[in-house]
Amino acid sequence: MLWLLALIPILAAPAVFLRAGERRATLGIAAAGVLAATLALAIWAALGGWSGQLAWSGALRLQVGLTDFSAVMAILVPAVALPVVVYATAHEDSQGLKRLIALLLLFVGAMELLVIAADLLTLLIGWELVGACSWALISHRWRDADNPAAGRYAFVATRLGDLGLFLAAMAAFTGTRSFAFAGLGQLDGPLQQLLVFGVLLSAAAKSGQVPFAPWLFRAMAGPTSVSALLHAATMVAAGAYLLIRLHPVLDSAAWFGPVTIGIGLVTALAGGTVTLLQPHAKKLLAASTSAQYGLMFVAVGAGYPGVALAHMVSHAAFKALLFLGAGIAGEQAGSFELSRMRFARTLPYVTVLSAAGALALAGVPPLGAAWTKEAVIAAAAHAGPALAIALMLAGGLSAAYAMRFQYSVFGPGDEAEDDAKSSYRLETVMLALLAVACVVLGALWLPGARGALEQGFGANLPLFKPWETIGSLIALAAGLYAGLLVARHDPALGGDGALAASDDWLGLPVAIHRLVVAPTSQLAQYSARFDDHVIDYTVGRIAAAATAIAQTGWHFLERLADGLPEGSARWVALGGEDSRRLQTGLSHHYFALIAIGVVVLTLILLAGS
Amino acid sequence: MLTLTILVPLIGALAILYVNEDRCRKVACVLGAIPLLLLIIAWIGFDTGAGAPVFQWVESYPWIPSLGVGWRMGVDGIALAIATMSALLFVATIAWPAETQGRPRQYYAWFLFLEAVSLGVFLTLDLLLFYVFFDLSLVGLFFLIGRWGHGDAQRAALKFFVYTFAGSLAMLLAIIALVLTTDPVTFDMRELIARQPLAGMDVRGALVLLGFVIGLGIKTPFVPLHTWLPPAHVDAPGPASAILAGVLLKMGTYGLIRIPFSMMSATFARYAFALGIVAVVSILWGALVAMAQRDLKRRIAYTSVNHMGYSLLGIAAAGALVGGGEQAARQMALTGATVEMVAHGLITGSLFLICGVFWQRGREYDLQTYGGLAQVAPRLTGFAVLASFASLGLPGLAGFVAELQIFVGTFGVYPWLAAIGLVGILITAALFLQMLQQLFFGELPARWSDFSDLGRVETRLLAVLAVLVVVIGIYPVWLLTLINSTTAVLTGGP
Repeated sequence: MLWLLALIPILAAPAVFLRAGERRATLGIAAAGVLAATLALAIWAALGGWSGQLAWSGALRLQVGLTDFSAVMAILVPAVALPVVVYATAHEDSQGLKRLIALLLLFVGAMELLVIAADLLTLLIGWELVGACSWALISHRWRDADNPAAGRYAFVATRLGDLGLFLAAMAAFTGTRSFAFAGLGQLDGPLQQLLVFGVLLSAAAKSGQVPFAPWLFRAMAGPTSVSALLHAATMVAAGAYLLIRLHPVLDSAAWFGPVTIGIGLVTALAGGTVTLLQPHAKKLLAASTSAQYGLMFVAVGAGYPGVALAHMVSHAAFKALLFLGAGIAGEQAGSFELSRMRFARTLPYVTVLSAAGALALAGVPPLGAAWTKEAVIAAAAHAGPALAIALMLAGGLSAAYAMRFQYSVFGPGDEAEDDAKSSYRLETVMLALLAVACVVLGALWLPGARGALEQGFGANLPLFKPWETIGSLIALAAGLYAGLLVARHDPALGGDGALAASDDWLGLPVAIHRLVVAPTSQLAQYSARFDDHVIDYTVGRIAAAATAIAQTGWHFLERLADGLPEGSARWVALGGEDSRRLQTGLSHHYFALIAIGVVVLTLILLAGS
Repeated sequence: MLTLTILVPLIGALAILYVNEDRCRKVACVLGAIPLLLLIIAWIGFDTGAGAPVFQWVESYPWIPSLGVGWRMGVDGIALAIATMSALLFVATIAWPAETQGRPRQYYAWFLFLEAVSLGVFLTLDLLLFYVFFDLSLVGLFFLIGRWGHGDAQRAALKFFVYTFAGSLAMLLAIIALVLTTDPVTFDMRELIARQPLAGMDVRGALVLLGFVIGLGIKTPFVPLHTWLPPAHVDAPGPASAILAGVLLKMGTYGLIRIPFSMMSATFARYAFALGIVAVVSILWGALVAMAQRDLKRRIAYTSVNHMGYSLLGIAAAGALVGGGEQAARQMALTGATVEMVAHGLITGSLFLICGVFWQRGREYDLQTYGGLAQVAPRLTGFAVLASFASLGLPGLAGFVAELQIFVGTFGVYPWLAAIGLVGILITAALFLQMLQQLFFGELPARWSDFSDLGRVETRLLAVLAVLVVVIGIYPVWLLTLINSTTAVLTGGP
């Protein structure tokens, strides 16, 4: 039964593509119906504790099942996808729209498969399908060759991480004769280390952590709704989800905690800086995704996967909201340059709704995202006060870029503005759904919420200390002010001048190109030349030598050699000559030759026996 | 029954020379489909239960009793899976609307002949017949490339023939040396497997193994014995290319399992690590060189080197130990290697048929001259995307089921080789996506604005192959059960 959670959207995808037609309304209703059914089923499955199994062979068994954490994720995915996909049916270009919607449904199905997986094989299937869907979605507007190139970059970069999951699966099967998550705890020694390394590698790649972060920028080539889904609840979320799901196993390697904290912290700080310097609305949001997932990595590394999951849920709500709002602003402006926006008057409703998301991103209480950010800081404080202070800094950065985003995109414009290009009615309703979710999550601040989470989900939550809250409020206020200054006085910051170079992930893409991409393609070129000019040439020389020997006459050879070597030389010579004769049409010679060959063979065999 | 599988297309190849030219293709399709039907029946009747005989549907008629040669037919799970895939691919290629250049009778006659002898390689249980069929398959393909190819077809066909013929000579020597150690002399494969004639003979065993590895390795092909493959593909007509990659290359890896792996397992185990290294080199070299190719067909030809490398890696790992050591891992590696052969046949067969579409429409294989074809040929784009993702090992498609098992199984025996080989799936991902991007996306050059999409027949044939690729990727139980029934025995399992 649990398989249905993945199967419904996956099977709906081709049906929508082939049968739903081109009309936006039909596509919207179909997509909403499928996702609502998935959502209902996910809730039902979570309550019912479903599981499932499919045996491919004795050794290969696909298993699915839900834990408390994965049930949350299984509900989150369709819950976020529903407004995003409906928005897409109203907002995206009509060219290729049904393909886009079908692919988005497939994307959701693959992500659900990944979430319900209870063994590494099923996980790997969902994991890579999500990657392939991303390729197709990022490449969606394929008439511009840059988009498929961006899709390829994203796919190859994340597939490099996928190799980690292959390694993990190899280690698991070698150690336990099974891929099941349940048995992973038995691993020890090098196999355990390899498993942890592989899982962490693939999670870091998927979640856009350093050094894999640049693919998230390239992924912005896709339509806005794709970005919203990819960042909020699928693809990127998969990395952090995997760490949360497998935390008990991963944590048994001593180095897992410190390394994961290190990756997360570097990404959160560097990503925060990069985000603040973005003059492009979608890229700003993309970079902030890396930074926010960095916070989740820190929480998992500090031993609080429940905190990471809570932050993932609140992030999903506000990031989807912000992307969808940016999509409307981008359409209004005709580009995503921050310096060309400020649509408070043109788009008043969208402005207010987006503000809820921006405040959540900034971490302003009493929104739920502020609580989850505080929880991450409190979790980090258990690993050391210095770490907590570093995270407060990261929190200040997110306040700054959230402010810059909101003010630049939806701030008050100076001049008289054009009317809205469209009413964006359905889009606005979808934004409202997500904004309500952001606000409702504020319930996390209520006194009874902590106990409910700990009991309901078995989540281990850290206690907030006064100094942490005060510190992060100060960082928040400073960040908001700094962001406002940037947005007001230097709206194009990072677009040119000395900072322009650093806004592209501090030069990381250039380094990746120089150290990995370029050498690989050079190596490929050299290999191809070697293949033609050395290997094939050598073969050609040997053949030429054989021909020369054939021309000097094999009568001479006959006297020199005897036994089997002679036979083989004769065959080479005959074979070569005869094949050449075939071109003149004398094909009967070949058959004569076969007859002779059979006779010779028979004689040799008779002699041998 | 297996005899009929060979005789029907063989006699059909002669009979079709007297059929009206217009009806040639239809008659050839029917004749070519009969072996497929017979093999499906054989599959349904194949007993995969524990304790069932390894070789089933056995037929045996004496032929040259003094030499122990006989007309012996029979299949195990591995042979049956590969033969059935081959028969299907033959039906698809025969039905493919090809340019017969005014000689349809001869074209279809050679195809049926090639089908008969290719199936013979997989179905026979006699070593001499194996050799004869192995060589005759070269003859069939030589004529198909030489007479219906394009470009410098005759030269490519000659190179293909002489090179692979040299390989089969090496194999002939090895066969003779192997058989002469038996007393009384026999070419019966079952006897040879049971007797393990070279056990305990160090030098002789090594030389015989070398003979088989060179002979079968050229056919597979392994690096550095692979350079005949790209020109043969480039100048061959699309359907012949599909058969070359889909069926003929399998003879090499299948032969490795059937002969040295089974008949001289101790010697094979001693040199298995070296073979594993050759496999990893083939995987990486094939992928890297493929990435640098600008010619569509050469690029796919080199990915065949890469994929057959995976298969060889699985075989080497499976044969690394004699007896029951690491049995689960070795069985998985061997099952993976076999699934790789089936999957590669279907996937690369599709890819070469797609290449044929490019030649028929554009007379051009240079990737750089194409672009934006998704606009005019959406169906072709869809099939090419599916086949490319299958080839790069995407889960949910057939290649993944093969490669996962090969890597996981090999890791249990040779962890480093498996880990290094993994890089291959990353490079193939890059090169296939780059190819798709170049062919189908971006702006459509004006000269291709009237590039026509797949016709009805082409669409249906590719759809059949694509459906199988997806079914194997999602629900491979039926295939794995068949193959595992044999690989369990071959790796010394219960």
